[in-house]
Amino acid sequence: MIANGYHPSMDLVRHLRFFTTVAEHRHFGHAAVALGMTQPPVSQGVQRLERHLGQRLFHRDARGVRLTEVGNALLPAAQQLLQDSERLVGSARRWQAVHQVRLGLPTDLEHAVPRLLAALADEGWSMAPSVGGSTGLLERVRSGELDVAMARHPAVVDGLDAGTVVNLPTYLALPPNDHADGDTFELLGHPLPVIVPPRRHAPAAHDQLVDALRRAGHSGTVLEVETHLERQAWHAAGHGLLPVLDPRLGRTVRGLPPLRVRVVAPVPSDRRPEIDHAALTGRLERALR
Amino acid sequence: MTSAAGVPQEISRLSADAGIRAWVHAKRLGPAPASVDHHGSRSVPMASLYKLPLAACWSDLVAAGVLDPLARTRLDTDGRAPGPTGTSTLSDAVEVSQRDAVRLMLALSDNGAAEHLLGLVGLGRLEQWLADHGLRDTAARRGSLASWRAVAAETGGGDPALAPLRLADTDTDVRTSEYDAALSSATTAVDLVAVLALLWDHARHEHVRSSMRLQAWRHRVGSGFPHDDVAVHGKTGTLGRLRHEAAVVEFPGEHPVAVAVLTKSARPEIHQPRVDATIGEIARVAVTALRRSRD
Repeated sequence: MIANGYHPSMDLVRHLRFFTTVAEHRHFGHAAVALGMTQPPVSQGVQRLERHLGQRLFHRDARGVRLTEVGNALLPAAQQLLQDSERLVGSARRWQAVHQVRLGLPTDLEHAVPRLLAALADEGWSMAPSVGGSTGLLERVRSGELDVAMARHPAVVDGLDAGTVVNLPTYLALPPNDHADGDTFELLGHPLPVIVPPRRHAPAAHDQLVDALRRAGHSGTVLEVETHLERQAWHAAGHGLLPVLDPRLGRTVRGLPPLRVRVVAPVPSDRRPEIDHAALTGRLERALR
Repeated sequence: MTSAAGVPQEISRLSADAGIRAWVHAKRLGPAPASVDHHGSRSVPMASLYKLPLAACWSDLVAAGVLDPLARTRLDTDGRAPGPTGTSTLSDAVEVSQRDAVRLMLALSDNGAAEHLLGLVGLGRLEQWLADHGLRDTAARRGSLASWRAVAAETGGGDPALAPLRLADTDTDVRTSEYDAALSSATTAVDLVAVLALLWDHARHEHVRSSMRLQAWRHRVGSGFPHDDVAVHGKTGTLGRLRHEAAVVEFPGEHPVAVAVLTKSARPEIHQPRVDATIGEIARVAVTALRRSRD
């Protein structure tokens, strides 16, 4: 049915939203602000809805905007319809994501990130990856935005299901212009800072690293740099020592702690039932080793 | 100054920055009580803080004539609770009065003295005292020695004195029933503040109050009030990742404010000055919002 250019299927839900918002605010201008729009399209939308229904929904007079008797009677049905449409869209999104695991990975894993995802893809796992700081990833696991994440340990994981801590040996890449001999080197008294992700990515793990550097005789001075690529850039420019997971890229350093990582998932009652969490967690932990 | 309404948000910010979870309650004592709260009704394992209701129960038993504060009591080396302070560190048996054992337990968190007092008072009478005072969210299930024995048994057996180091392992996430509020002695920040309010309400608790005033550990709540004229009457509780303190802070000419800061850190290390200082910061934020002149 296309009467006077009105597409009920497309416009009705949109105009019902205008209707309920104006009814709530009793003011077209305020309703427009709440909808994030200007006033004219809201007024026009309500008028078109009124024409389509053949009923006036609002009295507009010197006293302002008031619902008519019909408007009052139709309001609950309009609100119900809006709720149902939101639920429909939400369900559709969830169905769309069923076959994808929303996986969070900390930037600290560097080159291991693409390698891990390639291996999982090879085995038929479909992953929607997010890469970020551990604190943010854990928040997203809590809120249900991620199905599972790897996060640095130690971190506050209360209310989540945290797996075994995996300790990944860490090496230090010297600046390109440092041609010191030998496989090992000493942190004691070394003048350059260590290039690390921002502290807010994982405050407890960050502080633990700084304490370990001081324990080994380093000043504990760090350069907090946002992304993996930028950290590589600062290292290439000769500004600091870069922790790396690949032994071919760095030296063994006495007193440098491992990168501690664990797999963290929601508690069983908060998980998406479509996902085989036991298999997933097992696979991710195996990938870390 | 953070207004009372902004306190929970500020505590969340401080906790996230320090890598801890915090459960906090503070209350202004006196004629016009007011309080601030951050998850203060949640149950938390209480570590050494069982010594606070134990001391209150002891002074009630003294007031009732059941126990004699001057009675000499012998602290033997056999079965002595391990600990880093007081009689727990001694090589030989000692003899002290009951009230001096109370003083050592509160001012130094002396596990040896606390264990002995727990024997004198009895877990049963302590549980009854908690029930009589409406402290339904507090359960004293075991003393320090039993706690450390449990940790040792759960982390590979052997000497309870080794248990603190086992909990401090940075390479694993060490679990113990002492981190589980359902299995350990547990309380809430709200209940601890209620115990402090009781202690400040009755003359018979003067010995307990003056002992808390002698608190040797100033690195937690005390660090938030580095003022020589401000009295901090505190009692700390520490076990692995749990770091707590319950205290009454009294500025000259102002109503005293009771505050309980219970925390669990992500890091397992025994020494964590950042977390201790954050407990001081949290206490300062909570207490400042409640300060009021006596006039």
